[in-house]
Amino acid sequence: MAKLIHIDMDCFFAAVEMRDHPQWRDIPLAIGGSAERRGVIATCNYPARKYGIHSAMSTAQALKRCPHLKLVKGRMARYVEESRRIREIFSRYTDQIEPLSLDEAYLDVTDSDLFHGSATLIAEDIRRAIVEETGLTASAGVAPCKFVAKIASDMNKPDGLFTVTPEQLDGFVSALELRAIPGVGKVTWEKLQGMGLFTCADVRAYPFDKLVRRFGKFGLALWQRAHGQDERRVNATRQRKSVGAEVTLPEDVHSFEQCWEVVETLYGKLHQRLQSCQENLAIQSQGIKIKFADFVQTTAEHRQHRLDKEAFVPLLHQALSRQQGRGIRLVGVSVALPTEADSQQLNLALPSLECRSA
Amino acid sequence: MKFIISRENFLLPLQLVAGAVERRHTLPILSNVLIKVSEGTLWLTGTDLEVELISNVVLSGSQEEGEVTVPAKKLLDIVKGFSDSSEILFSVEGNKAIVKAGRGKYSLSTLPASEYPNLEDWQGEVEFEISQANLKRLIDSTHFSMAQQDVRYYLNGMSFETEANVIRTVATDGHRLALCRIGYENGTLPERQVIVPRKGVMEISRLIEDEDKPLKVQIGSNHIRIFSTEFIFTSKLVDGRFPDYRRVLPKEGDKTVLSSKETLKQAFSRVSILSNEKFRGVRLNLASGELKLTANNPEQEEAEEVVDVEYQGENLEIGFNVAYLIDVLNALSSEKVKLTMSDSNNSALIEDAADDSALYVIMPMRL
Repeated sequence: MAKLIHIDMDCFFAAVEMRDHPQWRDIPLAIGGSAERRGVIATCNYPARKYGIHSAMSTAQALKRCPHLKLVKGRMARYVEESRRIREIFSRYTDQIEPLSLDEAYLDVTDSDLFHGSATLIAEDIRRAIVEETGLTASAGVAPCKFVAKIASDMNKPDGLFTVTPEQLDGFVSALELRAIPGVGKVTWEKLQGMGLFTCADVRAYPFDKLVRRFGKFGLALWQRAHGQDERRVNATRQRKSVGAEVTLPEDVHSFEQCWEVVETLYGKLHQRLQSCQENLAIQSQGIKIKFADFVQTTAEHRQHRLDKEAFVPLLHQALSRQQGRGIRLVGVSVALPTEADSQQLNLALPSLECRSA
Repeated sequence: MKFIISRENFLLPLQLVAGAVERRHTLPILSNVLIKVSEGTLWLTGTDLEVELISNVVLSGSQEEGEVTVPAKKLLDIVKGFSDSSEILFSVEGNKAIVKAGRGKYSLSTLPASEYPNLEDWQGEVEFEISQANLKRLIDSTHFSMAQQDVRYYLNGMSFETEANVIRTVATDGHRLALCRIGYENGTLPERQVIVPRKGVMEISRLIEDEDKPLKVQIGSNHIRIFSTEFIFTSKLVDGRFPDYRRVLPKEGDKTVLSSKETLKQAFSRVSILSNEKFRGVRLNLASGELKLTANNPEQEEAEEVVDVEYQGENLEIGFNVAYLIDVLNALSSEKVKLTMSDSNNSALIEDAADDSALYVIMPMRL
């Protein structure tokens, strides 16, 4: 049986700000964009959560719930730096680390001899080291498989630890509500409830073929999770798959020209971000995302070997062809990075990309 | 309008033009076939605005001149469904087309012929004759290397080139390139290079047979047209410049391998079964007298084959997408194949050992 640890920093961005600004420690604090610019909350501290504020909520709504909320813009560079320090701590315990984001990672300690091979004691020691060295707290989940470890890290949050041993696995999973399973969102949860499925025990009693017919591949995954099966190993070589930049506009815009202006600004950011991880700007595809005033979003993308600003013109036209008179509240641009295989296949030395004279 | 025709005489030209008809109905009339009776001949036209196909057949029996368009797929299925020796009576009554055979009667919707899109008039600038077999060889030897939906839109087609006494086709997707050339003996051709879009290429390949019958090819600034006794095919050209193939033909290859084509093809085909399904990588280990092929996949399964080859020289390890190699070996009709390589980072040249009229360049994979 594998021994996996899921480490999740407690309200990471907010915790960094509270450590650096002790005067914010006991007041409701949130990191996010301004309400005037229709921003959203990225993270908030526990005093703010008491008001029902949570991440991804619009800042306007958060301020309605808590008018004296301290809102700060966030210092991404600082968070990245802290995240690096934390990853360095992980690396003292194992090299099998799969970062999920700046504040979350899976660690595989199956083959570790530390603490007589006790994953729980390793996780406790990691949490101790993080507090001592960064002044930040983390929660940990310890389990024989990934999704259970992730759910477990939430059980005693903040600053807590929860272990599901192989013996407890079956009972723990069986009682789980299906919405706790990563991948079950609001819509799927409603569908499952409609089918009379609430817990993993319900799924176990449900005919497998019916589940797969209804949900396809996801049905299979759900069936496996409900039985405590998750064969996914910690992927230490997980690579970044895409790079993007997007912005929620202060006010809805309507025309192609207005959107194009936004794309031009975003392009600069995208270019910079891509360059920092892919020097030659090689990509697999580039795309555009538009969110309309009614929050319905659409995307358009094209296979492309190198980032090219002009290639966004037809993509924007394509995305806006679905506008149907709606205002546009968000514009995003992104590129998919080449996978291992794309870079393995060498290219002929054809003359570089020619552009059609418009 | 009205005509009588045997099922057999109607079916062939109808099948021919139905291939050009648009399948994705962006414009309703594009899923129709244009039917015209004029001066004792039946003309059928299908188009998707990119390519146009016209076929004709001489009529006997009573007829009335006129033209109309009807749904191509439905008409084809109806005609196909009639029994072999049927006599078909086609007529237009009001806004319906009536198709009768035996005791069957079918009434089809029509759209006016005046709304049927015409390719604009154009002038042929280069004209030459070529046998069907030669044109087929030019296309079949290279078409598999065309790009598909590449943003370098000029690669999503085939380069047709004329130059003095040579007609040449080139196709590349950026990882591999295929080139085929045949001699032209009926005079001197002007230097010309055009790109025929993928759909046009596949359509031509479908239309022609491996036989000696002559075709006339006409190239204009935006179109290419092919005349045969059975059809007139027109395709728009891709507006762009095709990369110069001369820049990618390898020159520094110092390791030349001769092998039986069939043996090599069989070995690659078997080894490919256990290659990574997505990346299709296969490893070649060349040593004096033998070539070892190995492949493995994420399930840790492994394949190995050793093929005897004519080679004396340094050892070389190089990786390729096995699908690219098999495509080339399928296109070659020779008994022996010649591979020329230099090192694991540079392209390999593959050709018929006895005939260099078709050349294939494949870039390696890093394994």
